[in-house]
Amino acid sequence: MSDYADLYQAILEGNAKKAKEVTERALAEGADPLELLDRYMIPAMDEVGRRFDCQEYFVPELLIAGRAMETALQLISPLLAEGGGARAGKVIIGTVKGDIHDIGKNLVISMLKGGGFEVIDLGVDVPAERFVEAVGNQENIIVAMSALLTTTMGYMREVIKALREAGIRDRVKVMVGGAPITQRFADEIGADGYSENASGAVGLARRLLGLASSA
Amino acid sequence: MVRQFRQLTIIGESINDSVPSTHQLLESGNLQALVELACKQAEEGADYIDVNVGARAPELMAELVRRIQEVLDRPLVIDSPDIQIAEAGLRAYDPARAGGQKPILNSISLGRIEMLRLLAIQPCKVVLLVSEHVVDGRTSLCTTAEDSYRAAQKLVELVRETGFSLSNDDLIIDPGLTPLATDTGGHLNRVLQTFVRVREDQDLAGVHFVVGLSNLTVMLPSKRADGSPVKGPLQNAFLTKAVPLGLDMIVASTSRRYSLLPAEHPAVRCLEQCIANPGLAAVLAVRDFYKSGGSL
Repeated sequence: MSDYADLYQAILEGNAKKAKEVTERALAEGADPLELLDRYMIPAMDEVGRRFDCQEYFVPELLIAGRAMETALQLISPLLAEGGGARAGKVIIGTVKGDIHDIGKNLVISMLKGGGFEVIDLGVDVPAERFVEAVGNQENIIVAMSALLTTTMGYMREVIKALREAGIRDRVKVMVGGAPITQRFADEIGADGYSENASGAVGLARRLLGLASSA
Repeated sequence: MVRQFRQLTIIGESINDSVPSTHQLLESGNLQALVELACKQAEEGADYIDVNVGARAPELMAELVRRIQEVLDRPLVIDSPDIQIAEAGLRAYDPARAGGQKPILNSISLGRIEMLRLLAIQPCKVVLLVSEHVVDGRTSLCTTAEDSYRAAQKLVELVRETGFSLSNDDLIIDPGLTPLATDTGGHLNRVLQTFVRVREDQDLAGVHFVVGLSNLTVMLPSKRADGSPVKGPLQNAFLTKAVPLGLDMIVASTSRRYSLLPAEHPAVRCLEQCIANPGLAAVLAVRDFYKSGGSL
């Protein structure tokens, strides 16, 4: 396959227009969409995450790169689905009941999509039963919860309890995040994982689902 | 702290569970250090001291309010979305120790109108948070200035219905300032236009406005490419736009210097781009501000 390093660079720089152009050209030239994803797009987002972790990048760069990634993904997604689905995994995400903060959650969504995950966004103020419904009879997926308030973080425990009572706790991995959340709190409520920030959420989701990191 | 806006009331923000160093003090129950933090902010020019203890026992809020008032004559802002914690703080507050000044309750929103009953505890001022409203029984974020203005109207109506005789001077509208780093939804415009809409309404004449100013610049780097600061200038640029529209109170750091900026200042130009191009372009404008150098 020809070299589409331009695609990697466009996503890294958050240049959505260039990302679209290169992807269109690559597809027109018969490039394998799965290879575009694995060789350029996901590594670009991994590099965005790495730069964020060492404070070369900040949240605006995450958002802008995420948008460029999404632009390219929209072009290749229909082709991937035909090829039998190449997604990294599925995440059901929401801000818990009583809390309507969505900034952190939306950042995590952007990074997860950039990492190749399929994301179902339940929105904000999400009651336990909506998480349970959304899981349904699926397995090996992630339930991700966000809370920004110390007064609402306790509700995460209720969601985990509801998953247990519905008999589906063992079929999913639960990850939590948000300003007041700590690893200790995550352990206390019986979550499977905690990430301090949006870029860490991608690596965590991969680990929880037993997927090799492509970084 | 130097303040060029004489009309700007500053509420010291530091006693808040979401501040990591304060969180540690609350975790370890170090009330003495929290009282000292209140005094430090007063020395630096805070007109009010915000008191937010996170999700802890209501008795802790009461105890902290009493301890601060033993040594400090500044009025306090009782800051909690939890009705029991807020109630404990309001009951503990003694206006006589603050030269007769009322406390501020922060805050009531349409998502928690049960807190209106706290206005009966003693005469107080109240922050009405208008960044959220209730649609079809569910609380959600306001997306337009019209949403926020209607939320303000509704909350003022509810306050008046309580019969606890708060005047417009006791009402403080908080449009909910959101971070520039993630503002792809035009919230900066919503906030500024909310000031405009509320001020056009004669029925709301004399109400005050407040924002949590530090919120504007969270998640941004501290320095631009040339080493000049990012956050202070952007906060001042916001004040430069918002004070003329009526903003007269800020919950903010007392260690910053607040001043008006000239129209050609890069931070003002950045904010004007955010205003003119809401959406991802606004976030790009902010990135370009800190990626480039050249301060005035």
